[in-house]
Amino acid sequence: MRKHDPKNGEEPGGASRRDFLRGSGLAAASAVLTGAATTALDEARAADDGPKVLSGEVEITLKVNGEDRKTTVEPRSTLLDTLRNRLDVTGPKRVCDRASCGACTAIVDGDPVYSCTTLAVTCQGKTIETVESFDVGEQGVPHAFHQNDGLMCGYCTPGFVTACKALLDKNPNPTLDEVRRGLDGNICRCGTYIGVLQAALDAAKAMKGA
Amino acid sequence: MDLTWPEKPTLIGTKVPRLDGLAKASGRAKYPSDQLPEGTLFAVMLYSPHAHAKIKTLDVKPAQGMPGVKGVVAIAKEGATLRYQGDDVAAVAAVTEEQARDAARAIKVEYEVLPHVVTEPQAMAPGAPEIVKGGNVRKGRSQDKGKADEELAKADVVVEGKYALPVITHVCLEPHGLTAKWEAADKLTVWSSTQAVQVVAGELAEAFQIPVANVTVLTDYMGGGFGSKFGADVWGRTAAELAKSTGKPVKLFLDRIQEHLAAGNRPSATGTLKLGASKDGKLVGLIAETHGTGGSRGGSNFPLPYVYDVPASSRSHSDVFVNGGGARAMRAPGHPQGCALMEAAMDDLAEKLGIDPVQLRLMNLPPNDPRTPIYEAEVKIGAELIGWTANRKPRGKNGDGPIRKGYGVALHQWGGGGTRDKKVSCTITADGTVELKSATQDLGTGIRTVLAIIAAEVLGLKPTDVVSNIGNSTFPPGQASGGSTTTASMAPPCLDAATKARDALFAKIAPALGATPADLSLKGGRLLIEGKPSISWKDACRKLGTASISEMGATPEGLASTGVGGCQFAEVVVDVETGVVRVKKIVAVQDSGLIIDRLTWDSQVYGGGIMGLNYGLFEERIMDPTTGVMLNPDMELYKLAGATDVPEIVLHAYEPDDQKARGVIGIGEPPTIGTAAAIGNAVSNAIGVRVPEWPMSPRNVLNALAAASKDQEGKA
Ligand code: FES
Ligand code: FES
Repeated sequence: MRKHDPKNGEEPGGASRRDFLRGSGLAAASAVLTGAATTALDEARAADDGPKVLSGEVEITLKVNGEDRKTTVEPRSTLLDTLRNRLDVTGPKRVCDRASCGACTAIVDGDPVYSCTTLAVTCQGKTIETVESFDVGEQGVPHAFHQNDGLMCGYCTPGFVTACKALLDKNPNPTLDEVRRGLDGNICRCGTYIGVLQAALDAAKAMKGA
Repeated sequence: MDLTWPEKPTLIGTKVPRLDGLAKASGRAKYPSDQLPEGTLFAVMLYSPHAHAKIKTLDVKPAQGMPGVKGVVAIAKEGATLRYQGDDVAAVAAVTEEQARDAARAIKVEYEVLPHVVTEPQAMAPGAPEIVKGGNVRKGRSQDKGKADEELAKADVVVEGKYALPVITHVCLEPHGLTAKWEAADKLTVWSSTQAVQVVAGELAEAFQIPVANVTVLTDYMGGGFGSKFGADVWGRTAAELAKSTGKPVKLFLDRIQEHLAAGNRPSATGTLKLGASKDGKLVGLIAETHGTGGSRGGSNFPLPYVYDVPASSRSHSDVFVNGGGARAMRAPGHPQGCALMEAAMDDLAEKLGIDPVQLRLMNLPPNDPRTPIYEAEVKIGAELIGWTANRKPRGKNGDGPIRKGYGVALHQWGGGGTRDKKVSCTITADGTVELKSATQDLGTGIRTVLAIIAAEVLGLKPTDVVSNIGNSTFPPGQASGGSTTTASMAPPCLDAATKARDALFAKIAPALGATPADLSLKGGRLLIEGKPSISWKDACRKLGTASISEMGATPEGLASTGVGGCQFAEVVVDVETGVVRVKKIVAVQDSGLIIDRLTWDSQVYGGGIMGLNYGLFEERIMDPTTGVMLNPDMELYKLAGATDVPEIVLHAYEPDDQKARGVIGIGEPPTIGTAAAIGNAVSNAIGVRVPEWPMSPRNVLNALAAASKDQEGKA
């Protein structure tokens, strides 16, 4: 699976929607094939070893927000469903479940991904960060969303906050235009974009003060 | 003395960040769909793949034997007719969601596929299969005022236009559903994504024949409803049933596809409007024939004429039935449709008369109506903010290049009053805690914070000092959140409760302070005696000892009102070669009486404009006439604005003192009404021809341009 690195890509700030798709598990899914689950898992760890079948249940360990979490998944289990249904990590939300809305965004090895289309088994050995791990103090992204009312029902908000954090980690000085593009993989039905954009700009400033 | 809103508030009307904002922004807020009580089973729905079918046989047994499956229910019976794709068939609960999905697929259903109609043209065509008894078209009685046909015959100018808006769906980001847990054989707790905790409680109590007091519906947060989430629904009852039969908590939330198909939609609206005026621009009459579809239910009617004074009108409306999910109330039900049709006709009339569209509107506001001077003031402000006079050119005079700029306007109206039977309790305890309780719920509108602001204002505290507990059906009766009625229903009893609690506190502690209750006041977290700062709030409360104060607020007269309006302006650019429309700027001028939290008020108005922009530019439920299925039950082909689509939005809260004196009025719905209408008018202004069909998509824009050039060729 090609590792996407936005820093070398054409997008100066964060991942565009298309980059999201490329970086998500949809690409990985096509590499999953036949064999006994545990063996297959080892092979998956070795990566790029050619096709393997994973079936049945497999025990995996995911590093979520700095903690090693052991759980049982099926090969087809998405990272999102694993986080929400098995590990009770419910910051990321399931909305479209097919890589169009960004509500499920998590940061995997530093890149924002749609966790609804990333397979949990492909995330072993990677660093998974969700919104719950972010600084909730005045220098953090959540604070800026709160102060600017960049949320209403709030169901899209964890996704926006996560995408925003990932953007600012890579581009600490985004222009408004870069913020717009960096967050363009997320959708808000309540229409909080005005507050969200201001929150991103404010968070960029606050993070520098940290 | 009558209770009034404070004359010189320190908090009311300011920008107060919402109490639960950080919980939401940090992922700590637990939504109903996040609840995972110990041992929760995951339930998945099986729904009809066909637009219209009879269930010949339904066999759930194959599912029962599948790994992890703990419960299966057939919702539809053999022989039942399914009326739309997405209609409920069965549900499965299993240990993992993956297992539940497999099991739902294993259910054996034999369908007898019936002929369908899924679009209005299909339903209205001669010889179309009848999907409801009495025919697919149900014509309502004509609403007549005066003799419109005679007035139009005499009119100096008449325009006739056909305009249409598609069905759109709510797309609540949190799907419909709930998590159900039986605490005992007759005691049920559910976490429901709902706009009405007490309605859900009542429905579940009824369904399971248990006292409503034994049902607790919890909605601390919910991810959007927009009018579609008032009841327990089949899904909620099914979850509770599965929880009962399996003895485990069950979580059932719809998948995105069924959410689009079955969980509500805004009816379409198509109308032929004949609007006439005298040559100086005074409206004389309107004849309108309209129809719309609310799917398998009716309910597609909408207000028309709208806003303006039309002396004579004749209006007939037909409900068209199709094999589609039933309509539900959606943010200002009926109004966006009525507004778009009326405002399109108004603009076309202005064009034909050669009168500035803003002037035409001002000329035709109802005389002697208290709203008229408000509209006049609002339109003036809005026109200035968009630069109407300086920037706008007449229709079609926006250059010959591929990119054309245009401006449009629309006016809207809404009720937004409250009910008078709701309650809020306010409890003050000796440790200084202030707790409000009411069985209303926060849809993202900010009512939790609004209540805290009111209590804090009365008690001289900060809003964050107040515990604002809502979203629990066992609390004092609270308003169902629909019709922009929540704040107008809940703010008065909250003010009443906080005021009574304060007075009761004063009465209790005054003797110990050697003062009379009348000497006491509260400000900045301190108790004042005869206006002089004395002890802190906490120390004052400590004087309660083991006692506490608990007061129930009711709804005194004069604190809330109904009836709001406003106007919206849009600036667009249209690429006439590709048909792509971009909205550059929206101006929203809105009155809503007394504003409690200006920050969440702003968010509502911004959000209303953005939802209206979606309706104007992107949204439509696309049905395939051949297969009868929805082609875009997702979030990529069902388009909604992202960050790059959102324009500059300029808000103006119209709130002179006489507006504030009206008391609180809801704001949830009005700001979404006029946006699509204003965008449609701006597009016509830009490209010189009316685009009669919403959304203003490349297809519809190019079609309108093509039709116009064909017309031209015809004439040449
Ligand atoms: S839920 Fe993953 S992108 Fe929408
Ligand atoms: S805040 Fe409700 S969807 Fe974004």
